[in-house]
Amino acid sequence: MSGPAITLDAASAPARLRGLGAGAALPRLVAGIVIVAVWQGIVRGFAPDYVATPFGIVMAFPRVVQSAAFLQATARTLGAVAEGLVIALILGTAIGLVMGRSVIGERALRHYVNAFYAMPMIVVLPLFSLWFGYSGAARLATVVFAAIFSIIVSVADGAQAVPKDYVEVAQSFRSGRVRMLFEIVLPAAMPYFLAGLRLAAGRALVGAVVAEFFTAIDGLGYFILYNSRVFRHDDAMVAVVFLAGFGVGFDALVNWGTRRFLPWYRRDEVRE
Amino acid sequence: MRREALARHAPFVSSLVLGLAAWEIVGRHTSEAFMAPLSETLLRLWQLAASGALLAQCLSSATLFVTGVVLAALVGMPFGLLLARVPVLRRALDLYIMVLYATPMVALIPFILSLMGFGFVPKVLVVFLFAVFPMLYNTIEGARSIKPELIEVARSYRSSEWALWREVMVPYTLPFAMTGLRQAIGRGLVGMIAAEFFLSSTGLGQIIMEATQNFDTAAVFGVILIIVFAGLGLMRLGRMLESRFAKWRS
Repeated sequence: MSGPAITLDAASAPARLRGLGAGAALPRLVAGIVIVAVWQGIVRGFAPDYVATPFGIVMAFPRVVQSAAFLQATARTLGAVAEGLVIALILGTAIGLVMGRSVIGERALRHYVNAFYAMPMIVVLPLFSLWFGYSGAARLATVVFAAIFSIIVSVADGAQAVPKDYVEVAQSFRSGRVRMLFEIVLPAAMPYFLAGLRLAAGRALVGAVVAEFFTAIDGLGYFILYNSRVFRHDDAMVAVVFLAGFGVGFDALVNWGTRRFLPWYRRDEVRE
Repeated sequence: MRREALARHAPFVSSLVLGLAAWEIVGRHTSEAFMAPLSETLLRLWQLAASGALLAQCLSSATLFVTGVVLAALVGMPFGLLLARVPVLRRALDLYIMVLYATPMVALIPFILSLMGFGFVPKVLVVFLFAVFPMLYNTIEGARSIKPELIEVARSYRSSEWALWREVMVPYTLPFAMTGLRQAIGRGLVGMIAAEFFLSSTGLGQIIMEATQNFDTAAVFGVILIIVFAGLGLMRLGRMLESRFAKWRS
């Protein structure tokens, strides 16, 4: 019941877009046009007026992204996601290192971490709304809860995957534990950590959105909920497009950062 | 030998006992509306089970989950294989499928609610949407890994289309499809809870929602406990399916 499999199938979709074969531009363009036309046609032909259509979304786009309500909602949601991710990163890395570098820690904590990780995070929403009220604190708690376990699992896997030779060499040169942690274990665990971070960011975003659905506090999730209720589906869809964009964008950012600052890590090494 | 076994299991057992004890103690010293101790949680779970409500709601949730995931597999796998066989189609659609795979499906729930209302079908749609893209995405990944030479060799031996599928396409793609199924099972569970929370309240989600409104934290914790075990069990099932078919995978 362990193993990198949990972490590493996180290799996410957009990251692989680069690897896709060239010469796909024409079929993609045709398929895109067909999808848009079918969507537009079906909705216009059979669905009520308020249902979102591709053209409606495009038309709504400039108005929505300039509206104060949308900007504020975006800032609230992204702020909570960023704050929650930082908390989850610090706590998760600490717990992950304990699990990865100490056998006792691993045996004592692994079952709890696995159980929480396998549990659909949405299920804690009612409980968190009881504990933290219908407030931003409930959203922050949900974000941390959603993000932390993928970080723990991947840091633990990464810390276990440190090549023994490095540790032995460091030990034979009488390197201290702290120095070993920062100069050997953490760098060696970095690819796993990044894989976990990518996964955690996606989960954190979903956590923020569902918390907003549930507690009706201001944010992109509530923006979608509200606008779909008052039958402005095009406006709500713009927010969905943004959410998808944030996911893909963060992924691209992590990839870019990896290539730029850690060029010696290749994705493939992490994948198996 | 015994000492070894003791040393191996001691940290796990003691952390488990410690965790359960902490649950009991914290539960007893906080307000009942905040947290229920372990003993009360188990007692409440027993009451729910004895009244028959628990079983009925479990079955309702399971029906939703299985319907959605099976539909996702029935659509995702053949469609993925079709994309594997027709490269033009795959190149045309893979970008869109990956973007949808990365889109948080939970954001679509308000639209489904507004268009389809409360019923079994919209909830199945939610589970289906959560589960189908991992299926598709992984099947396509598998399809991309098929070496063109294999198909060329099969062709040059005048292999029939049927034999090509049976001997090359399916065996090559199946392990990846199983990875997809494992992910679909995990995501389907999230979809099930999301559907039960945000669409009409049924199943285990309904017990949680009603218990929350009544500050019946013992029932909330009890049902969460059941869902944790269901999650672990399903994860293990997914791993089993995956490793059962993984032997082809290079």
